[in-house]
Amino acid sequence: MSRALKVSVISPEATLFEGEAPSVIAPAFDGEVGILPQHAPMVTTLGRGVLRVGEGTTRFQIEGGFLQVVDDVVRVVTEQATKL
Amino acid sequence: MAKGRELKGRIKSVENTRKITRTMEMVATSKMKRAQDRVVAARPYARALGEVIASLYSPELAERFPLLRQPEREGRAAVILLTSNRGLAGAFNANLIKEVRTLLAKLDAVGTQVELHVVGKKGVGYFGYIGRALAATRTDLTDRPSAADAASLVDGLIERFTAGALDAVYVVGSRFNSVLSTPPTADRILPVTPPSATGAQKDYLLYPSAETILTELLPSYVRNAVYRALVETAAAEQAARRTAMKSATDNAGEMLNLLRRTYNRARQAQITQEIAEIVGGASALQG
Repeated sequence: MSRALKVSVISPEATLFEGEAPSVIAPAFDGEVGILPQHAPMVTTLGRGVLRVGEGTTRFQIEGGFLQVVDDVVRVVTEQATKL
Repeated sequence: MAKGRELKGRIKSVENTRKITRTMEMVATSKMKRAQDRVVAARPYARALGEVIASLYSPELAERFPLLRQPEREGRAAVILLTSNRGLAGAFNANLIKEVRTLLAKLDAVGTQVELHVVGKKGVGYFGYIGRALAATRTDLTDRPSAADAASLVDGLIERFTAGALDAVYVVGSRFNSVLSTPPTADRILPVTPPSATGAQKDYLLYPSAETILTELLPSYVRNAVYRALVETAAAEQAARRTAMKSATDNAGEMLNLLRRTYNRARQAQITQEIAEIVGGASALQG
């Protein structure tokens, strides 16, 4: 499975991240959730924590909002996000 | 040469005014560019939020959410008017006030009790002048409104709408279609008009449930509507100021041309007259 996820991290003021990544780990409302390519379409609310995009250093501190996965497109939409 | 000196004074004064208006035009242009960028940057969030709400929305769910409740009659409504803190922006604030007066008249006609929340010194000043009581005033918002500003404006109203103390909330601000088109508009943000779904509905896995997600997203959606109104109005203000200052600069230029022409003509006439006097005097002596 060489497909990659198209990830975007969006806050009201700006789009903080847009690009491809092999995986996303997000702080869902009840614990962390990992997303890999070919995930089923999903919408989940997020809690407070660190969002990790790929294995690199792209990390965000987020609080609230939601995550949407559909057709390998991951959108993290949150009112409060700061890049770490 | 008394008239000449007077003209010279006026030329100087118009030149100085033109310097100021030209500077303000340039400042407004650069502020407008940045404000415009913020309007564009706010769009993906609004789109993402709208799409997800549209995909989760169903009429059966709507009945259970206070924010989607459609009251049969608007007994009590709140109107948020967005104006600027500073003037010299042409008809910008006047247009917004006219728009809100139209809305107020319409609500009054159906017997709605309206409370008015005003943002910006210009709006506050106007309603103070005509002596209308305001429910709340805000003059601390800057050229760069943040999402937190929007939240602090509307959170109280969301709560009261949920509790049933309000039946509708309107926002009056300028829409920023383009630099040249910034019409004042009145939008109803509560109750929420669900965005219509586009494209095929996906069968989503929902965690924890559609209801919980909507409960969290609907207030965000309302807050974002206010945030969008704030940024668009801020950009529209700068656009209006730029246009106003540009025409002021142009008018000053025209006036300067006219004044300079009059001044030079007066100067020329005086020289001619002096020569005539000298020639006349000389010929009288030779006489």
